[in-house]
Amino acid sequence: MKHQIEAPILAHFQRNAYEFEIILEAPQIAEESRPGNFVQILYDQSFNPYTRRPFSVFHSDPKSGRISILYLARGVFTKGLRDKIPGQKLSLIGPLGNSFQPSTKLNVSHILVAGGVGAPPLYFLAREIKSDPFNECRVAVINGARTQDLLIAVDEFSELGAEVRCTTDDGSRGVKGIVTDVLKEMLEERSGEACVYSCGPTPMLRTVGELCVQQGVSCQLSVETMMPCGMGVCMGCVVKIKDSSNETGWAYKRSCCDGPVFQADEIIWE
Amino acid sequence: MGSEMKNISPDLSVQLGKLRMKNPVTTASGTYGFGSEWADFYNLSKLGAITVKAVTVKPRMGNPMPRTAETPAGMLNSIGLQNPGLDAFLSEKLPYLRNFDVPVIVNIAADRIEDFITLSERLDAAEGVAALEANISCPNQACGGIEFGTDPVLTRQVIESIRKHTKLPLIAKLSPNVTDITVIARAAEDGGADILSLVNTFVGTAIDIRNRTFKLANRRGGLSGPCIKPLALYMTWRIASSINLPVIGMGGISSAEDAVEFLLAGASAVAVGTSNFVNPMIALDVVNGIREYLITQGAESVKEIIGTVR
Repeated sequence: MKHQIEAPILAHFQRNAYEFEIILEAPQIAEESRPGNFVQILYDQSFNPYTRRPFSVFHSDPKSGRISILYLARGVFTKGLRDKIPGQKLSLIGPLGNSFQPSTKLNVSHILVAGGVGAPPLYFLAREIKSDPFNECRVAVINGARTQDLLIAVDEFSELGAEVRCTTDDGSRGVKGIVTDVLKEMLEERSGEACVYSCGPTPMLRTVGELCVQQGVSCQLSVETMMPCGMGVCMGCVVKIKDSSNETGWAYKRSCCDGPVFQADEIIWE
Repeated sequence: MGSEMKNISPDLSVQLGKLRMKNPVTTASGTYGFGSEWADFYNLSKLGAITVKAVTVKPRMGNPMPRTAETPAGMLNSIGLQNPGLDAFLSEKLPYLRNFDVPVIVNIAADRIEDFITLSERLDAAEGVAALEANISCPNQACGGIEFGTDPVLTRQVIESIRKHTKLPLIAKLSPNVTDITVIARAAEDGGADILSLVNTFVGTAIDIRNRTFKLANRRGGLSGPCIKPLALYMTWRIASSINLPVIGMGGISSAEDAVEFLLAGASAVAVGTSNFVNPMIALDVVNGIREYLITQGAESVKEIIGTVR
């Protein structure tokens, strides 16, 4: 169910050069959020910015009724968001969208591929996979960004006991290169079944998806698009998806409610 | 006691030709889906009417991405009328809306007069349709892509054709992208429209200077949101004060105060559009805010204030 709430900001702090975390009191959203879900945020009624922006849920704790959001303060919207302080409220609509569906099979290697601000929903997913007491499966995270200042949630993944490999384009942290170089190696070296989950910029998702499809590996991608409404009505966030019921073999599906998570082999890249 | 009760609850109902609304607030087509998306927020029966997304005879895939771009106090969109088509509307969307005690206005779009006729005939026969709103801002295939709604002869032709095939109240939705909107409004009136709704979006564009491309795949799109409100309000006032048909006013309404301005300018009802994306409660907030305004003004009925600023 979608909730619109004025959520009090409980804490808001800087974690890295551009990385901020904001903790919000949002009991209904905390109760119902699943990994991959997002909230639409509005912090101002002045029409500047005018529409809401989607942010993936990073942490969600039904017991305390809190959620948190991680973001990089680099755009107009996020720079405005950065100025909000505890005690103020943010308008949230959520939880929105579908969620990652992790494999529940035993002995599966879960490989999470994060690009920049794609990391938060994958952290939520990693925590869920790790919380299954009957299934101590391998969770590997490939976390990449252009430079170390743009890498996010690195410590949290390690604290969960996931194998973390970072990549940066400039080599400032981890492997110099891109996440898909490491993914390619991991897929080639894998023994047994692997499932890949990824979130990040579109060119990266495309390469991740194509690698997995070639290798016959199950892969779920959370796509990034503009989302003016987030509730399925504006049709401004569509993605080309295979659809056999349609003469053309494809249809535009809304990433806000049919997604944002799609199977890699159903996306038609443009 | 009796008169005090009246003051507490002013009469919000309005009558636009044969279309009766329990309050003067509907939704602008394309900003409200087919209603079901709002189930989590409020009971649709609380609105004066629901205007659904444009329906075409055949399903439409819509335009390539990117389809939207944010602008100061507004947004551009070029969705391309993506919709499931008339058959799916009748079998999958309309039955849901019959569960509510609210008039359903169906926005119809076509690029040929024949298709407008098909839509009118089939929707006329369907149970649960309160009115048709003709989206005449579509390009006309037979006339080299000129929009029906920018030419008075085409406007009259298309409205006349629809009129012949439906007994439902017929709303002509006017495009603001014309030199003189009163000329088009008269053409729609001559064609047999019962109600005018205005305005549709203003054509505009935006450019990404870093990539040197248009921000929309379709190069241009329709501008909506608070930035167009003064333009839409002026056109509403102009039409309401010169044409003898009831008007549904819209364009950038983001609060009850905005809606009251349109009513004072002469609109008999208003539609809330793009602000539904920002605040899903806005249409209901507008209903409640209009009620409060009437109470503070000591008005017993919304009809007392319509068109009082001349």
